[in-house]
Amino acid sequence: MNLIAVSINHRTAPVDLREAVFLSEDEIRAVTKKAKEELFKEGLVLSTCNRTEIFGIPANSELSHLNIKGLITDVKPLKQISDEYFENFISRDAVKHLFNIVSGIDSMLIGDNQIFKQIKMGFVGFLMKRIFDSAIKTGKRAISETKISDGAVTVSYAAVQLIEKIFFNLSKKSALVIGAGETSEIAAKHLNDKNIGKLTITNRTFEKAEKLAGKINASVLNFSDFKNSLHNYDIIISATSAPGILLSKEDIKSSMKKRISKPMVLMDIALPRDVDPETKKIESVFYHDIDSLKIIVEQNLAIRKAEIPKVEKIIEEELYSFYEWYNSLQAAPTIKGLREMFESIRAEEVEKNINKFSVEDREKLEIVTKRIINKILHHPTAELKKTDETGYSGVARFGIIRSLFGIDSTKEEK
Amino acid sequence: MVSLIHFLNILLPLLYFFSFLIYFYDFMRDEKKFINVKRIFLFLTLLIHVIYVIVRIIKFDHPPITNVFEIFTIISFAIGFSYFILELVTDIRGTGPFIIIISFIFQLISTLFIQDLLEVKDVLRSSLLGAHVISALLGYAGFTISAVYGFLYLVLYKDIKLNKFGLIFNRLPNLEVLERLSLYSAVIGFISLTIAIVIGVIWLPSAFPDFSYLDPKLIGTSLVWILYAIGIASKVLIRWRGRKLVLLSITGFVVSILSTFLSNFLARSFHSFY
Repeated sequence: MNLIAVSINHRTAPVDLREAVFLSEDEIRAVTKKAKEELFKEGLVLSTCNRTEIFGIPANSELSHLNIKGLITDVKPLKQISDEYFENFISRDAVKHLFNIVSGIDSMLIGDNQIFKQIKMGFVGFLMKRIFDSAIKTGKRAISETKISDGAVTVSYAAVQLIEKIFFNLSKKSALVIGAGETSEIAAKHLNDKNIGKLTITNRTFEKAEKLAGKINASVLNFSDFKNSLHNYDIIISATSAPGILLSKEDIKSSMKKRISKPMVLMDIALPRDVDPETKKIESVFYHDIDSLKIIVEQNLAIRKAEIPKVEKIIEEELYSFYEWYNSLQAAPTIKGLREMFESIRAEEVEKNINKFSVEDREKLEIVTKRIINKILHHPTAELKKTDETGYSGVARFGIIRSLFGIDSTKEEK
Repeated sequence: MVSLIHFLNILLPLLYFFSFLIYFYDFMRDEKKFINVKRIFLFLTLLIHVIYVIVRIIKFDHPPITNVFEIFTIISFAIGFSYFILELVTDIRGTGPFIIIISFIFQLISTLFIQDLLEVKDVLRSSLLGAHVISALLGYAGFTISAVYGFLYLVLYKDIKLNKFGLIFNRLPNLEVLERLSLYSAVIGFISLTIAIVIGVIWLPSAFPDFSYLDPKLIGTSLVWILYAIGIASKVLIRWRGRKLVLLSITGFVVSILSTFLSNFLARSFHSFY
């Protein structure tokens, strides 16, 4: 099979270059249009901050990887971009590369499968559709059959994972996020995703707090007196850029008195730290800073890494299954499949109705029904044998026949 | 039939031990394929335990509640069965080995010391005795499960505080769930023990006219009841929660074990029947 792929990714290029070649949705559309007009019969373009990938079935045999790289460099004419930053794949390696991406083992954060969302874009035809269906099946199997995507692998998500190890139902809990920067926003979004009951933002600059609160449907608390309200919150996440300690042990101690042994979680994801680490000594206070959250992240990454061989096995199985299907797209297997399908229908109907015929007529029934099938299939069989087209057109024709008569689905049902 | 009883008596601790091993292996490895295997094995163990109890009742003509070792086999079953139902209803995994090991210990002690009693005292043939013993056993099974969940709460609490994110952190349910399981088990245990005490108080004067209110069993049970009453009241009235609450539950369990031990083995009580 002549699938061809070009990739610029976290293994081949530095972050500034990856960011520079990142394609927006409009740019993907433009590249896709050009690829369809000039290079491919079918194709697909993927782009995230960590990778930009182009896959396609070449329209002619002259097409090389250089032509495909040109699609990117035309849209992103960067001086520093050169061949060494690209990876090239062809045929089985290209299919395998796609399976690796979708299953998350080629991601910068192992197990990250956000790329799933991108798969829809492109001009996917008969063959690419099957390749991507197989890729998505591989990705889903990797998630459900292994731990490749289990656990948090970012500090802010690890904070939420830890919170979930303390509280049962976050929809009945209240959280205060101190700070309105990027880290605070990510943490607040994670809490929102977990259906936190009440989310409040406080920040030294009130307008910034209001802006973030507006984005995530949270309320705002005045920074000047937020310490008086600490006891109202089960979870406090602090991620400010303040140079010193914002919350002292005494602040937390006095708020805990009002909480009557109700646990409080303090997540200090600021650098330098916002909360006095001594607060961890207070009963029912769970204090964690970036270092402790990194332990969770590293453990989860180690678990994910250990799952790679299992995912690779799934990929091999799906590659085998895909090529079994692909190799069936030849004249002989298609004719055989078509005849088997008709014969099974004939045999089933004869068996169902055999008792309606007298014993002496039963043999005739077999002969007559077989003759009908042979006559129906005579012309299609002859035509299929005549087909001498090879490559994409031949494969596509046999594929259409198999799909039209449901040969593969009948086989799978059996 | 006696040989069947003896065979099952030896088989049961082995079955509980294998159930524990399967649950423990699943706790260590967390493999999805073990979810059903371990449940089926525990179910079969409980089924064989029911057969054992029924065969005993038929052969010895009395329910196995007349001495502490007969009662231990029922407690073992009650704990295992309660956990089995709890796992089915809540689908909370990861706590099984810690409960089943308790069932195993009770059954092992029972297996080692149980006797084939054909004759029992007349006082043990009272119709109120069954209700008294069953409710008391439910009470103690509840307290045992509550204490196990309380203990797991403390271990996880400490691990989270100390940034230890190992097996306990990854496999156990969250602290709030452990606290609730401990509390609900304690409440069920407390209600059952209250019923057992009420029945006992009604039945006591007619069964033992010369009993004393200073009997070690009565004092021990009252102490256990008071401890759990304080725990539940503090939860409802003062809104205590977390570590304080589970510590009370564990203390209650330790006192109830000591009370059983004292009244059955060391002190002379009207409650000793053999």
